[in-house]
Amino acid sequence: MDGASYQRFPKVKIRELKDDYAKFELRDTDASMANALRRVMIAEVPTIAIDLVEIEVNSSVLNDEFIAHRLGLIPLTSERAMSMRFSRDCDACDGDGQCEFCSVEFHLRAKCHSDQTLDVTSKDLYSSDHSVVPVDFVDPAGYDSTDQQRGIIIVKLRRGQELRLRAIARKGIGKDHAKWSPAATVTFMYEPEIHINEDLMESLSLEEKQSWVESSPTKVFDIDPNTGQVYVVDAEAYTYDDEVIKKAEAMGKPGLVEIYAKEDSFIFTVESTGAIKASQLVLNAIEVLKQKLDAVRLSEDTVEADDQFGELGAHMRGG
Amino acid sequence: MARKKSADFEPLRELVRHHIESFDYMLDEGLSEMFDHCRQAKISYTGKLMADVEFQYLDAGSPVVRERFNFGQFPVMLKTRRCHLQGADSQKLVSLKEEAAEMGGYFILNGLERVFRSVILPKQNYPMSMVRSSFRDRREGYTDKAVVIRCVRKDQSSVTLKLYYLLNGSARLGFWLQGKEYLLPLGIVLKLEHAAGANNLTRKALVDTNDLEIFNHLTCCYEEKYKKEKGAVGSPLVSERVKIILAEVQDLSLTTRLQCLQHIGEHFQPVIDGLQSESYYAVAETVIRDYIFVHLNDNNDKFNLLMKLTAFLMLDLRLISFFSFMLQKLFSLVDHTSVSDNPDSLQNQEILLPGHLITIYLKEKLEDWLRKGKKLIQDEIENNGKKFDFFNCIIVDYANAVANIKKVMEKNPSKQIGTSIETMLKTGRLATQTGLDLQQRAGYTVQAERLNFLRFISFFRAVHRGASFAGLRTTSVRKLLPESWGFLCPVHTPDGEPCGLLNHMTSTCRVASYYDSRGNIRDFSKMRTSILRVLIGVGMIPSLPKLVKSGPPAVLSVLLDGRVVGVIPSSEIEKVVAHLRRLKVSAASVIPDDLEVGYVPLSLGGAYPGLYLFTSPPKFVRPVRNISLPSEESQNIELIGPFEQVFMEIRCPDGGDGGRRNAFPATHEEIHPTGMLSVVANLTPYSDHNQSPRNMYQCQMAKQTMGFSVQALKFRADQKLYHLQCVLGFVLHLLCCNEYALGPSQTPQTPIVRTNTYTKYGIDEYPTGTNAIVAVLAYTGYDMEDAMILNKSSVDRGMCHGQIYQTETIDLSDDGNKVDRGQKLFRRNKDAKSLHSVIDSDGLPYVGQMIHPGEPYCSIYDKTTNSWRTNSRKGSESVFVDYVAVDMKNSKNLPQKANIRFRHTRNPIIGDKFSSRHGQKGVCSQLWPDIDMPFSGVTGMRPDLIINPHAFPSRMTIAMLLESVAAKGGSLHGKFMDATPFANSVKKTNGDTGTDESKSLVDELGEMLRTCGFNYHGVEVLYSGVYGTELTCEIFIGPVYYQRLRHMVSDKFQVRSTGTMDQITRQPIKGRKRGGGIRFGEMERDSLLAHGAAYLLHDRLHTCSDYHVADVCSLCGSVLTATFIHPQKRAIREIGGLPPARAPKKVTCHACQTSKGMETVAMPYVFRYLAAELAAMNIKITLQLGDGATA
Repeated sequence: MDGASYQRFPKVKIRELKDDYAKFELRDTDASMANALRRVMIAEVPTIAIDLVEIEVNSSVLNDEFIAHRLGLIPLTSERAMSMRFSRDCDACDGDGQCEFCSVEFHLRAKCHSDQTLDVTSKDLYSSDHSVVPVDFVDPAGYDSTDQQRGIIIVKLRRGQELRLRAIARKGIGKDHAKWSPAATVTFMYEPEIHINEDLMESLSLEEKQSWVESSPTKVFDIDPNTGQVYVVDAEAYTYDDEVIKKAEAMGKPGLVEIYAKEDSFIFTVESTGAIKASQLVLNAIEVLKQKLDAVRLSEDTVEADDQFGELGAHMRGG
Repeated sequence: MARKKSADFEPLRELVRHHIESFDYMLDEGLSEMFDHCRQAKISYTGKLMADVEFQYLDAGSPVVRERFNFGQFPVMLKTRRCHLQGADSQKLVSLKEEAAEMGGYFILNGLERVFRSVILPKQNYPMSMVRSSFRDRREGYTDKAVVIRCVRKDQSSVTLKLYYLLNGSARLGFWLQGKEYLLPLGIVLKLEHAAGANNLTRKALVDTNDLEIFNHLTCCYEEKYKKEKGAVGSPLVSERVKIILAEVQDLSLTTRLQCLQHIGEHFQPVIDGLQSESYYAVAETVIRDYIFVHLNDNNDKFNLLMKLTAFLMLDLRLISFFSFMLQKLFSLVDHTSVSDNPDSLQNQEILLPGHLITIYLKEKLEDWLRKGKKLIQDEIENNGKKFDFFNCIIVDYANAVANIKKVMEKNPSKQIGTSIETMLKTGRLATQTGLDLQQRAGYTVQAERLNFLRFISFFRAVHRGASFAGLRTTSVRKLLPESWGFLCPVHTPDGEPCGLLNHMTSTCRVASYYDSRGNIRDFSKMRTSILRVLIGVGMIPSLPKLVKSGPPAVLSVLLDGRVVGVIPSSEIEKVVAHLRRLKVSAASVIPDDLEVGYVPLSLGGAYPGLYLFTSPPKFVRPVRNISLPSEESQNIELIGPFEQVFMEIRCPDGGDGGRRNAFPATHEEIHPTGMLSVVANLTPYSDHNQSPRNMYQCQMAKQTMGFSVQALKFRADQKLYHLQCVLGFVLHLLCCNEYALGPSQTPQTPIVRTNTYTKYGIDEYPTGTNAIVAVLAYTGYDMEDAMILNKSSVDRGMCHGQIYQTETIDLSDDGNKVDRGQKLFRRNKDAKSLHSVIDSDGLPYVGQMIHPGEPYCSIYDKTTNSWRTNSRKGSESVFVDYVAVDMKNSKNLPQKANIRFRHTRNPIIGDKFSSRHGQKGVCSQLWPDIDMPFSGVTGMRPDLIINPHAFPSRMTIAMLLESVAAKGGSLHGKFMDATPFANSVKKTNGDTGTDESKSLVDELGEMLRTCGFNYHGVEVLYSGVYGTELTCEIFIGPVYYQRLRHMVSDKFQVRSTGTMDQITRQPIKGRKRGGGIRFGEMERDSLLAHGAAYLLHDRLHTCSDYHVADVCSLCGSVLTATFIHPQKRAIREIGGLPPARAPKKVTCHACQTSKGMETVAMPYVFRYLAAELAAMNIKITLQLGDGATA
């Protein structure tokens, strides 16, 4: 490792943080880092999801595997996930995935006795571990959140229909199945750098300025009502659609504005499914990324690295 | 909710109305099992057909014996009058385990749903002039010209008559009787009729005046003064021809009516069944009555009241006027003063409906039965003489007579009639000698597959041109003719073999029926009388009692349902037509609203002019708006038929004149341009922006999609074959809660972009696809050549997941002979413990159980042999047991019949087929990881599906792009988008909103995106999912409704390395089901030869096929003479304790008696087989062996 050091120290600046939403800036790094972070957040941060369903009684209209699939897609609170074992690597239960280290058991019993249809929701799932429960969506907006309407509907039952099952939730990653993905959306954009050629701009009439400003579908520019000057309202609203540049060319004023994407700063938007908090999702992703890098560094010359980083070895080999 | 929805099914039911009404008609002229049960038990839905039969001795005033006969079980069409479901509302239907939207119109036979395939027939009672070279081959002296008429009786049975023109100027009347065509000189027929008429009038037979009168009648169409004028159809040759016709009869020395009758009777007496003992006169009368112009022969007619003439005379007069009309038309065709009619054009066609076919089929079967019965009784009377004194018996002892007759008639089983009808519907084959004057005998019914709803509904809208045309090399019948505009959909026809032959009715097209709009049966004779009255009122000169001796262009003949009822001066005719149309539309008048007013105007060498009125039922009708009438009161919706449409001026509602000059002002207007499309074609969004073949492809693919085929899925077991089903999403919840709200469905979904037809027919009840986010880009190379990349995470979440339901029926009473019936039971072997995990104690599988390939799923015990048998799953797929039902009906206690429904789950995998709604089909080539998919920097959206941009330029499916933009806009604004085609053609009339008229569709959609901050053109900046860098160009992305087609690799893949070999050739067998290989054929061989890939070739054709090492005798060169000599066991060696080494095989040549020349040669085994086969024919194959060097 001689020669100049290319090491950089990326900075993160958090702009907005909610339970299931995060917006932050990532600076002093490049697209590969940013994208790696995005990919890990979507596909490799572990969560817990129902993976095995034993159906005792199912007289509902949906068939067994259908219900199993729906159960699998219910997000479960997965703070524990990072410390849990993958059931395939679990020593305690010899890989059959039924021990406390690698699995959580759920029970569901529902039968409709009334003439009204009964909504079986995620609320009816009883967990053996109070830390792993279906995500509770309390609608912050408050609309449509009558008491019985909460929870994710699994199936609707009519009089006499019954559903009884045992489900086992396991740790997994989004790469294996989308149900383990903790991220609803992760995206980043390059921070734009907008330079308005003021001289050229001043050669435009107010109407021309107006039409130029309006050529952008998003609100990036505006005109100062007092000075009549065009200024950037929200640079990040720019979607790199080049509409304003095309417009400028169409108006016969090429070079009216110059927009560059900053190669080293990114604005991330993270939305979580609720399985883990958005902030935790970012941290977990960085953790997983670090582990992966460690694995790369160590597996260079040692076969033992595989044993040492058993779990990560699996990551390395592509999950 | 349900109540509101039930009204919405009405348009759907409208679509199958013609099927139902025709069957209703059949029932009216002419039960107790549940349908669900029928489907399950694989039996037929039938009702008892009872009829009173009267026996009457052929004596005046003899008493009548009445007896009720049971004609057996008669299949009943669903939702008709005799059906339990008739009039049931949606809720009742659901409680009966039927679809809420059940429309009926089909039969359930052996548990299968069969639907009648409607066929095109020539228009009834319309004389069509035709030119066909085959007419020349009838006999010497015939020309290729004829006038053909399909005469139809009131009960829809018909006789086709042909009037041939002969080279010498004469004419022959031809008709088919028992598989043979009979040709009568026209003169005889004419004379016959006319003489009769004259007889009655004058009471004396004056031959000369008759001939003169005939002459006058036939030549009336030609008048010197009109020579070449417009509309003149006669020519000076007419009189010459008529002279020839009359002279012919003279030559046969038939001068009087009686002689003519004798002549005819003589010829037909031996031919017609049951008339052998009748007099010539009676035979001739029958021939005329039953075979010549049967449509004129209507006893119920009330004409005579009007005219105060005897019915018989009336008939004759009608006949003669009709003949003269036909002859005139024939002559005008010959003289080129009119053109021939096109039999392939819808103008001259109508439709055959199920009820009508069943009626005439039943009529024939009953006639046969009665004839047989008559014969039996006659025989009985002859044989038993006294004992069976019919006449006296009845007087003396009625009861005894009835018993006697019953006994006799037992030999003539009446129940067969019901069975024969059922067989007809089951097989679609007519078992008839006469052919019923139909073109084809088979293919009248098809199985109504419920693959998806669109396919199902198309069965009822389909109209086939006729099976006989399918084999034809000429393509003229398949041509899309302008006459079919508005009646048959130009888009909805399959491509390939049945293209243009199998058409579908447009969504507005209907078939006129025996019922009026209030559901009452129509009285056609009354209708005709009132029409006649109206006609006379407006100046028609009736042809009765005196024939009018004038022809076009002075006057035009009026034909009402094939009868010449009079003439109207051509100056009056336009007014008459307008008047008739006014009466048609007005609700108060007696003129039926679907009367076809076919006014063929005078023209120079065009179609033969006249006013043709049709009231009779099975004709196409469609609504248009009559704009020549003041429009205050009602909408002025007029029903028009294909015959009249050709001569009408109908404009498009876009406000333009369509190139029409002032000389031809439009009298009618289309209601909506989409009326020309079928239901399925109407569902394609923005189809007016697509290249037309793409819309055709979509019509086909819509019918192959896996969709929501039935809602009453739980109760269905009639699927003998694979039944495809896409059931994902909350739509299903309607099954359990019986409320028809559309929940937030995942897949299948309701399309964001839909036409108004979609809502009209409630297709939401049976959705067929998913709104997938589609990006158009070449991303990985896996989207080349119409392949498409699916997002793996989307698939994980359940996109396009499908299931196949397959029902296996096990009928224990079916297999084996009668002796051991009831000896087999479903039972589990107590000792076979391994079975207990899959099979329940009743011998049937557990519901919900997964069954792997090769595993047993039911166990059967045979009492007689005390043996156990299990049925095992074939195939390579694990399935779930969805449902098990047993039929206890036909067994005392133990079920003999079981239905086991299996469920195959089918997630999308590589090789499965998908399509958008624009004929853009593609195969899934990869399930690409979500993280590698391109993503939008703004929204973070990743596409569900990627297609290649090359799919667009050559196919020009602009509508798909529009759909994407519209759906994007619609989803952003949270509303459904209307994509009804030709929307801009009607905008102007609908409302004068003014401003948005100037806006094009693209502007409208683009603006929607813009307001939400998206690009006007629907493109977005995407970033590579792999590198995180911006893609160099903007990507067109938006939601498009995608359908999953039923073609899946799991049903099609074929692979093998080793496996079963053919017994004889020792080559791999063929067939996917048996694990066979795919043939490496001659052309494949050629290509390897061309590449010089010798090793590969050897591998394919020899090593992997029938590699064989044969012993060949180099002395005699024979492959076949090698015989093994079994070496005697060498005891010494064994004793010595040495390992028993394999003794070298000793082969000798049987022919040469030596083993000297034996060599081993590798060869294909078939070669050895060939040598053996040839040897059997005394041909010897000799091989000359040599090593590579010397050869």
